[in-house]
Amino acid sequence: MDFVYSILIFIGLFVILASSFDLVIGHCGLISIAHPIFYAIGAYVSAMLSKQSGMPVPLSILCGGVGALLASALVSVPALRVSGDYLLIASIGFQLGLIELAKHFHEIGGAGGLTNIPSFLIKDFGRESYVVLVLALAGVTVLFIRWLTQGPYGRMMTAMRDDELAFSMLGRNAIWIKVAVFAIGSGIAGIAGGLYAHYFRFIEPDQFGLLQSSAVLTMVVVGGMRTTMGPVIGAIVLQLMPQVITFFNLPPSILGPLQGLLFTGLVLFFMFVRPQGLLPAADLWVGRKPLEGAGHSGKEARS
Amino acid sequence: MTKHWGLKSTVGLALALALSTGALAQQTSYKFGLAMPLTGGQATYGNDQVKAAEWAVEEINKKGGINGKKLEMVVLDTQADPQVGIQSVNRMISVDKVAVFVTAWSGVVKAVAPIANDNKVVELSVGANSPDISQLGDYVYTTFPLADVDIRAVANYSAKDMGKKKAAVLFINNETGIGSATVYRDTFTKAGGQVVAYEAYDQKATDFTGPLLKIRAANPEIIHLQGLVAESPQVIAQARQLGITVPITSYSGIYNQKLIEQLGAAAENVIATSLAPGVEDSPLVKEYVDRWVKDVGRAPNGLPYTQYLYDAPALIAAVFTSLDKKGIAATGENFRKEMLAIKSFDLPLTGKITFSEDHTVNKPVYLVEVKNGKWTKKAVVGQ
Repeated sequence: MDFVYSILIFIGLFVILASSFDLVIGHCGLISIAHPIFYAIGAYVSAMLSKQSGMPVPLSILCGGVGALLASALVSVPALRVSGDYLLIASIGFQLGLIELAKHFHEIGGAGGLTNIPSFLIKDFGRESYVVLVLALAGVTVLFIRWLTQGPYGRMMTAMRDDELAFSMLGRNAIWIKVAVFAIGSGIAGIAGGLYAHYFRFIEPDQFGLLQSSAVLTMVVVGGMRTTMGPVIGAIVLQLMPQVITFFNLPPSILGPLQGLLFTGLVLFFMFVRPQGLLPAADLWVGRKPLEGAGHSGKEARS
Repeated sequence: MTKHWGLKSTVGLALALALSTGALAQQTSYKFGLAMPLTGGQATYGNDQVKAAEWAVEEINKKGGINGKKLEMVVLDTQADPQVGIQSVNRMISVDKVAVFVTAWSGVVKAVAPIANDNKVVELSVGANSPDISQLGDYVYTTFPLADVDIRAVANYSAKDMGKKKAAVLFINNETGIGSATVYRDTFTKAGGQVVAYEAYDQKATDFTGPLLKIRAANPEIIHLQGLVAESPQVIAQARQLGITVPITSYSGIYNQKLIEQLGAAAENVIATSLAPGVEDSPLVKEYVDRWVKDVGRAPNGLPYTQYLYDAPALIAAVFTSLDKKGIAATGENFRKEMLAIKSFDLPLTGKITFSEDHTVNKPVYLVEVKNGKWTKKAVVGQ
């Protein structure tokens, strides 16, 4: 059953990652693809704290989240002040630079990776308990992000994303929102990292590179940006598909290329045929953003 | 949210069905897993290694399999990525119910080690050489000599057989460079020699004159170079330009035809290692390489690695055959016991292999030297 458990755990983790990434790139419009590095920071911080200083795992996972949250400011504060596009470059630089740095720190395993990370829950309550924990946290994340984006904070994000100048003319601080949303998204990714580390008990710097970035981005794009369930569906589909293919009993000479083509093909298909993703965000296909915004502010005025 | 849960339970059902059919298929055949990168950056090597293993399984079944029962191989992609590797190995264990699986690339080997140990399934690492692989747990074994084996052989050979008393060590400043340089220094000193210069160069360096001049000043009788395939030829070329003519030893990384093509006369007196017998050492290897040229139209990428992959099914088949004869169920636990009981295996393309208590293997190291513009066999060290 380990196979099913690990699939469910991966689905849970990627639901958390894709949803929090959608918060950053979709809802807030911050073009950064360095999400996995915050996943990595969470994983490393949590693993090191519990391994070296014997900190209880739940606490270390939380510290991992806080670590990722704080680290995000290192990218967002300097970069956001300049302009949006710089964030993309700064974030990739941060991601690749940190991976390179991690490879040279012997204390955290270096390029060879960190082994023997303490496990959590599994010994006492079985693997099922961890699956439940991860899926529950995935659910909480999705609900939290829905609450965040559908409330007043979400309206603020939408307004800022769609017209930053107009937004700042209303007396709002756009940079503060960007930094805050970036930190929230990164912190959530950090918690996912801790959850990964204590189940699979091995992490290495290279696994958090650009391939991981493109995987999470694909999940968000395929599922549908700026929707609550889009990233969830994207994560499920993209986690399951490669597994389902292996059940067709294809020879390796076909299986390999097919797995490779799948992702590329999927991205191309969605780019040309359905750029809005499986679940389109409401304002995209209606194309009437101002009206929706007006509706919201109308409600606010009444209340 | 209801949609979300609905999806998941259907998937769970489908997987459960697949699990039950997988369990039934096992009785008339013996299965093992092979988790290799079929896609991604390492695929050129991974695919050739899979092909080698496929040929080996074919050969074994042609010769009667496991006492008349078929040997089956389940191949899955790892992309040389820990996460993908975890999924593949979990699938092999849960769905295909393998008792043993073969994998490579140290990231994957380490990532799946907890799974092997928890499920009591034997993991055979074939090709990763990071020294900490021997400490991954009770169920993780390697059929490939780990990094320090050939460095030790070179150091001992230099001190004892070549009679060198003063050595210089020049190494790249990264994890493997530092690790291997330390092993060389310790071994050479223990064998009665003296390390007169111990110099590192930066990973991105293109000019090595500084450390090389220091080495020249120390006047060593032999130099050990621990670098990467990329910059090693340049280091050797610059050393020769500076008038350093003493023999230069290195490891298996530089053992390729390209080095001679790039360096010409400067390659003379360069000694490298190989962890598998070459074409001139064994007629079987020659036959194997000829088959590549005939069937695929080229030599395999990373020949020694494919030799090890070719031999992995043979080792597994030998253990299964022994279990089958004794009528013991082919579980991971029994497989491990039987493998350690047999201990020594004679394999077609890589020769004899002996499992040690400390989860490493002892293999002879083949030393090769450039002589008159050709790699020629110098010595076989160990066993």
